[in-house]
Amino acid sequence: MAALPLNSQVINREPLSSRITGYTFDVKLDTAARMVKGTLEAFWVNFTSEDVPDIRLHMYMNAFRSSNSTSYRESGGSAGKKAIDRGWIDIISFTDRSGNDLMPLAQYISPDDGNPDDSTVLRVILPDAAKPGDTVFINVEFETKLPSRIRRTGYTDDFYFVGQWFPKFGVYEPAGMRERLQSGWNCHQFHNNSEFYSNHSVYDVKITLPKDYVVGTGGMLINETVPDAEGNKTLTFRAEDIVDFAWTAWPGYAVYTDKWEHVNITLLLPGVRVEQVGRQFAAVKNALEYLTENVGPFPWPHLTFVDPPTKGSGAGGMEYTTLFTSMSADRMPDFLHLPEMVTVHEFGHAYFMGILATNEFEEPWMDEGINSFWEARIIDHYWGENSGLIDHPLLKVADKSYSRLIYVRSDKKQLASNNEYSWNYPRGTYGMMSYQKATTWLYTLMGIVGEETTNEIFREYYKRWAFRHPCGKDFIEVVNDVVTKIHGDKFGPDMNWFFDQVLYGTGICDYKVNNFRNRRLSSEDRDKIERDSLSGITESDSAGTDSDNDDLLYRAVVQVERGGEVMLPVDVLVHFENSDEVTETWDGKSRYKDFTYEGRGKVEWVKIDPDYKLRMDVNFINNSMTDDPDRVPIRNLINKIQMAIEFYISIITL
Amino acid sequence: MYMMKMLKAIGSGALRSVKAYKGVIVIWFFYMILVSMLTIQTKGALKTGFGKSMITELLQDGINIEVFSDLDTRLESLFSSFSSGFLLVVVIGILMNAFLSGGLFNSLKGSKGNLTVSEFFRSSARYFWSFLGVTILVSLMMIILGLFLIGLPFGIVFGGDSGSGPSSFILLLCVVIIYLIVLIILLLVADYSRAWLVAKEKSSCFKALGYGFSTTFKFFLSSFPMMLLLMIVIILFTWVTLRLVSLWNPGTGAGALLLFIVSQLLFFGKLFLKAWRYGSVTALMEIHPAKPVKEGKV
Repeated sequence: MAALPLNSQVINREPLSSRITGYTFDVKLDTAARMVKGTLEAFWVNFTSEDVPDIRLHMYMNAFRSSNSTSYRESGGSAGKKAIDRGWIDIISFTDRSGNDLMPLAQYISPDDGNPDDSTVLRVILPDAAKPGDTVFINVEFETKLPSRIRRTGYTDDFYFVGQWFPKFGVYEPAGMRERLQSGWNCHQFHNNSEFYSNHSVYDVKITLPKDYVVGTGGMLINETVPDAEGNKTLTFRAEDIVDFAWTAWPGYAVYTDKWEHVNITLLLPGVRVEQVGRQFAAVKNALEYLTENVGPFPWPHLTFVDPPTKGSGAGGMEYTTLFTSMSADRMPDFLHLPEMVTVHEFGHAYFMGILATNEFEEPWMDEGINSFWEARIIDHYWGENSGLIDHPLLKVADKSYSRLIYVRSDKKQLASNNEYSWNYPRGTYGMMSYQKATTWLYTLMGIVGEETTNEIFREYYKRWAFRHPCGKDFIEVVNDVVTKIHGDKFGPDMNWFFDQVLYGTGICDYKVNNFRNRRLSSEDRDKIERDSLSGITESDSAGTDSDNDDLLYRAVVQVERGGEVMLPVDVLVHFENSDEVTETWDGKSRYKDFTYEGRGKVEWVKIDPDYKLRMDVNFINNSMTDDPDRVPIRNLINKIQMAIEFYISIITL
Repeated sequence: MYMMKMLKAIGSGALRSVKAYKGVIVIWFFYMILVSMLTIQTKGALKTGFGKSMITELLQDGINIEVFSDLDTRLESLFSSFSSGFLLVVVIGILMNAFLSGGLFNSLKGSKGNLTVSEFFRSSARYFWSFLGVTILVSLMMIILGLFLIGLPFGIVFGGDSGSGPSSFILLLCVVIIYLIVLIILLLVADYSRAWLVAKEKSSCFKALGYGFSTTFKFFLSSFPMMLLLMIVIILFTWVTLRLVSLWNPGTGAGALLLFIVSQLLFFGKLFLKAWRYGSVTALMEIHPAKPVKEGKV
């Protein structure tokens, strides 16, 4: 079958993106040499208004060539001692459309760290600079050796996951795009923690491999040949408007299909995990439903996801928009929603980085953080608000709880802001900052502006930026526009104050109840209060009403404190002995704030942020205070621990 | 014939354990005091940690990891003191059980019936070292056999690439079943050994173990099914009890007190079932034709 023209439409009626780049492959999987060999024809269109003298290509597989690559330096890992363990990509020939040999014009560069041992970015000086509107065509014959230790990509035994496997264009950013001051290529090296930032592209991919292999890709199967005399078959796939193309091959896959509205879903997983098929499809359908409703439509009619076998678990938890990998084990208890969590998360990347193609290298919070926020919302919505991750009678854990406690318990949470390049985060903070801190402050934002406003923010974000490259400022602009449109100036002229603190700042949030005092009033004070209330004047911060004579006996003072640097508006709920309740709204700015009540009776308890909306607060324990704390839950817990230990000793002592 | 012997021993064991109720109460009391030393301290630490906060309302439905994680450094010190306290309690528990089992076995033998408390403690002291020896040796056998029977196959299966697949699952299931059978046999050995020590008023744990092994295998057809049956009852009781109590979250102080009383009654029931097991093995040993034991030779 002849290759389809890249500018044609096969999957959707209209192009979803501007298609700055496109790729046509004809490759063969050499299972003996553990290589993918073949040819690539690709183009890049200069949509800018300036001449571009060069092109830059990601050569990611070279990250596995040596232990001195930037990725391995960052991770501290090893590429392996034996040649068969390593991965690399070699260009056999490289020409432009006119047949000019581009090899002499190509050189490896390391724009991020100057590492001379890293060869994951290739710069090619064009024989003639690309004028505005020009299309640069390249023809590449290449060999990609897959690494044996699967880390995102590679092989184990007869299992293959082929990702980051071909020369891929970087993104040319004109000045002004993503706050950029000068035009230039955005083409980062392969890093331990990030690899995604690409233009939406069209892919025509022809893969030849042994006939017994089951293949999954991010494309739609267009054609499959009958096996040839050597026992090889050739599969042709087409993918449109996705940011990367990956594929997997393994003879052991069992294939299941299902459908959600217009989306045909294919699941590849080891046959032994057949009992998890229902769980996996439920997870992906729930994610499709929730994100479609609250963010925007999933525009492709096809979606493939993979649960890799145990031996290929290094390929688990990866995202390629219309292909993603989940993670599970052969036996997975029903109460543990790990496969669901990974499936929802990786599918979510179809939106956050796939459709809204942010730069994972430079702003990882927009990719992993926003996606983890939606993962937690989906998991807790469908699998239990308090038991999304673990739903066992003895232990229930919500997804949002997991995120918060990783963030608040980290002793490194103030080492950097949330706005670092992925490789610049201090050691041991990337995951906590990019995933969990961002999730926690997005929940806090939702707590402040409300759930429906939050959904509206993301709907607008999708509307404005789908199939483009938004940056952090673009997201904040959307937030400001939507919040002021819905709430007016309730939160100020914009929400920059929020992002300045949580995204660009390093402070922590900790509101606490310092104390409350109930003081018996003198008779003169009581007379004055009675007089004032008759004349409609009161000294209290909150007007006293319907007070009986006993209530008039007390002046109650509640003191709350801002313990952290972060200042957020917060509710304070004050409960009186006579069951009256007052909700105060505090802007949360001053260090201390007193609320005084006269004639309302004795204060019984106080709660700051009674609904735990400010999930950034690093300590919920000090958010409330009472003179009569409920000890029953502690007693229950201790009684159970007592019995459990007694049983345990009785059992082990024969 | 085996069935009759087994049923007779189980019936006699039940009767003996009822008669030995004082011993069971003593054991329960010591357990409760021992474990309380740890839990009361833990309760105090939790009360201090939560202070006057109302956050405990989030613990009403059970453990809430966010609430506990907010204890921060207090949780770390609580965990550290609880872990060391737990180890200490377990060690003391092992010694205490070795001590009190002597009294209990003595209460269960022959027509002894119910001992006075002083007789109970006297026999506890008398058999302490030999009972401790039996407990340690049998426990070591269980651990070593566990490493070989469970650890090795699991290591091979999960260490290699063939960790998935139904054949691996069946293999691992088989080794677990084999290990459970071995555990039941070793429990029989331990029980026969201790029953023999008390019956013969001996003190050599090695001789007792020799007797335990020979009797276990000599009367395997009556001993093993009996122990299997008793263990099924005990395991079922334990499972139902733990599940019931773990799901029960009373909301008032009176409810918490009731939870404590019920949980302790259930633990008393567990100890009673253990006494039943000891009594049944003792009875079965007495039903079997007596084997002369020569000094210095089993």
